[in-house]
Amino acid sequence: MKSPAVRRIWLLLVVAMSAVPSAHAHVGSKDVFEQVSAGPYNLFITIRPPNVIPGIATVEVQATGAAIETLQITPVPLTGEASKHPPTADTLKRSAADANFYTGGIWLMAPGSWQVRFTVEGAGGHQTTSVPVPAVAIATLKMQRDLGIPLAVLGLFLVLSMAGVVAAAVREGRLPPGAKATPALQRRGLIAMTVSLSVMAVMVYFGAKWWNVEAASYSEDIYKPLKVQPALNGDQLDLNIEFYKGRYKTRDRANNDLLPDHGHLMHLYAIREPQMDAVFHLHPELAAAGDFRMALPAMPPGEYKLYGDIVHANGFPETLVTTVEIPASKPASPLGADDATATPAPLSSGPLGTSYKLPDGYTMVWDKPSTLTATTAYSLHFRLLGPDGAPAKDMQPYMGMTGHAAFVKDDGTVFAHTHPEGSAAMAALDIANGGMGAMSGMTSAPTPPEVDFPYGFPTPGAYRIIIQMKHASTIETGVFDATVQ
Amino acid sequence: MSTSVGSIHPAGASGFSPAASQTESQTGVARRTAAVPWYIWFGVVAVTSASIGGAWDVSWHRSIGRDAFLTPAHLAIYACGVIAAIICGYLIFATTFGHSAKLKDVSVNVIGFRAPLGAFIAAWGGIAMLTSAPFDNWWHNAYGLDVKIISPPHTLLILGMRGVSAGVMFLILAAMNRAESAGDEHGHTVLRRVFLYLGGLMITGQMFFLFEYTWDVVLHTTAAYIAMGIGLPVAFAMISRASGHRWAATISASIYMGYTIAEILIFPLFPATPKLGPVFFPVTHLVPAKFPVLLVVPAVALDLLWQRTSRWGWKPWKVAIVSGVVFMALVFAVEWPFANFLMSKASENRFFGTIYFDYNSRPDGYDRLRQFFNPASGMVLATGLAMATLCSAISAWVGLRFGAWMKTVQR
Repeated sequence: MKSPAVRRIWLLLVVAMSAVPSAHAHVGSKDVFEQVSAGPYNLFITIRPPNVIPGIATVEVQATGAAIETLQITPVPLTGEASKHPPTADTLKRSAADANFYTGGIWLMAPGSWQVRFTVEGAGGHQTTSVPVPAVAIATLKMQRDLGIPLAVLGLFLVLSMAGVVAAAVREGRLPPGAKATPALQRRGLIAMTVSLSVMAVMVYFGAKWWNVEAASYSEDIYKPLKVQPALNGDQLDLNIEFYKGRYKTRDRANNDLLPDHGHLMHLYAIREPQMDAVFHLHPELAAAGDFRMALPAMPPGEYKLYGDIVHANGFPETLVTTVEIPASKPASPLGADDATATPAPLSSGPLGTSYKLPDGYTMVWDKPSTLTATTAYSLHFRLLGPDGAPAKDMQPYMGMTGHAAFVKDDGTVFAHTHPEGSAAMAALDIANGGMGAMSGMTSAPTPPEVDFPYGFPTPGAYRIIIQMKHASTIETGVFDATVQ
Repeated sequence: MSTSVGSIHPAGASGFSPAASQTESQTGVARRTAAVPWYIWFGVVAVTSASIGGAWDVSWHRSIGRDAFLTPAHLAIYACGVIAAIICGYLIFATTFGHSAKLKDVSVNVIGFRAPLGAFIAAWGGIAMLTSAPFDNWWHNAYGLDVKIISPPHTLLILGMRGVSAGVMFLILAAMNRAESAGDEHGHTVLRRVFLYLGGLMITGQMFFLFEYTWDVVLHTTAAYIAMGIGLPVAFAMISRASGHRWAATISASIYMGYTIAEILIFPLFPATPKLGPVFFPVTHLVPAKFPVLLVVPAVALDLLWQRTSRWGWKPWKVAIVSGVVFMALVFAVEWPFANFLMSKASENRFFGTIYFDYNSRPDGYDRLRQFFNPASGMVLATGLAMATLCSAISAWVGLRFGAWMKTVQR
């Protein structure tokens, strides 16, 4: 209908027009970066989900290892009936410039917990691997001026030309061939034009209303993490998670269906605002359905932003966000076995360097790329050195991994807790790859003193990076700053 | 309303007797060519192409899912716009800037340009179709890819397609009415057949637009009957009045049913697999439309009624009220029990097509379970049907009035 177009476009011409950014699980960091092995094939996978669902996610793969003949992808829900019926797979396109770089796209037609299944054929035979992708709508788009103006002009033309056609139909439509319109007919033509313009104005009005209803209905589907209510009583932190009721039952998100990820139902990062000069990686325990509790360790007083990572039974990860005020007089409990903390210099004292001195004489080093640009996939490399400056020798896995990383933007719009395998939740990765035992990527064997984290910064700006590695029984937390262009 | 059963030639679309001599045949062909200008045939091809493209596109979305600018179904739809652009461009420029007094004599004036009325309507439809393309593309980026037919940009596209269709119908109408005025019975007959064919596609188009309201599992809701009450009597009355044919509604309803049944028989012959998920039903072939609503029954009744009311000289409002009641009573009487049949095992075959489901049809959904969605009963049903009957009467009145006006269009 031309009506909604025209009406809405004229409205939009006088309203500021911009895309609305929003959050995602993690927070503001929707792209998935994953380093996976499928038999002898090593794939560095980047999946960039769309801003709207249904929409198209782009997939990029940088391959190493055995030679690949064909690489195919198909999107499948992570759990449920539809996970048994993969759609026809697509062959990824090999780059002309780099024979080991592949690109493609997948259509995600419903919000929820998805996986992209990769099938590799080549020198190493037939292999498959899957990467989980949470699909949620995170924004609706406003009408851009360069499209809005031509559409408005066309819409106006449609309205005026239709009025002209109606006038002509009434004035001349019934005249025998060759006859001329009488003044009475001319007058009726004018009346018809006026009436048709009025009718179309009403149609445009209701069309605009319809557009608004549709837009509002889409806006309702924009992802919002589960709400969490914090309460602090002495050193007891209580986090109450609310059940999310969607427009359809299939879009509900429960507060009592959580999967353990690295042995914990919640990984909670507490970061002191606004200077990000105290960071904690904590693990509250579930006391009742949707109710997490823990005794907090000693914390410098102030306002803390809390980022709580959870994973639902269908593999859908969420980062719950809230804040809590820590008073100066708060009693303190000892840190838990898997908990870690650091007190880096405040943001206002300038960016931290690539070498972070740890309290026990160890040093964590970031082999920082010379430039960092937004949305580019990086494998970010960190090393742990002993007090003698040599690579640390007594390395142990930290919650089953060589390391854990958190990327936090200084304005709080981005938070991503990732692992050496990548940014997908490990519990989801486990479901995607056929339940090869809880946390198949985890290890209890000694780990190397260096670690790579696949990640891409979603937007330009200043980020603080929190890296955790473990030697003997000490969990080290190194903190670094990055300015992303 | 003029009736003209006597003017229908006994054989085929060529409009001449099979027993006629060779010379007469050649003359007949020449006459037919003269009666039906080339641009009308082009227009008929354009509207047919859009109708097939629309059905194909819906099936594509239900079977394969993944959309692209250049799917065959989209090409069939675009072909409608392209052909409309060619014929309208020709007619508008040839009439406005050419020297043919014959063309100018049967033209109307819109903002300084001259052409037959139908050319302007079809041109409007073509521009509306073109406008809908970037709008729809933006809509996908703003709110996601389509999961439904009735969205604002799709409505603009459908209005555009209907504009082209209406434009071609007006081109035919004007020629048909002039042939009648000039006493050219043969030309009038051939043009009327073409008009009735497009009338059938119009009913098909109305039902296409009401697709989401007349899905078999919702045929026990009142919304289905209200939707049909709004959308169908207007079209039947218009086609009947404008064509002046005794059986116009029956013919157009039969075309709709034949077209849809043909889709059910033909589409599943072509392999197709989903190219996106979630896949809840492993589709292997193109999924056809649902079995058509049995519109031929109320259409026959409307034709019988209108044959009589024209003899009785009833006022349009009186005809409209009775038409609304007759239409709704028969649609309900026929379709309500037929919907029960469609939910039963007996309909699970290649003809009634209740064995076909979309790739994303959930195993616990109404469609797969063959259960009615939100069936109405008691007062809800009664008030719903009363509303549907009122809508039918208003719809019929609009159709009768507009159809009568169309009957007099000369340009």
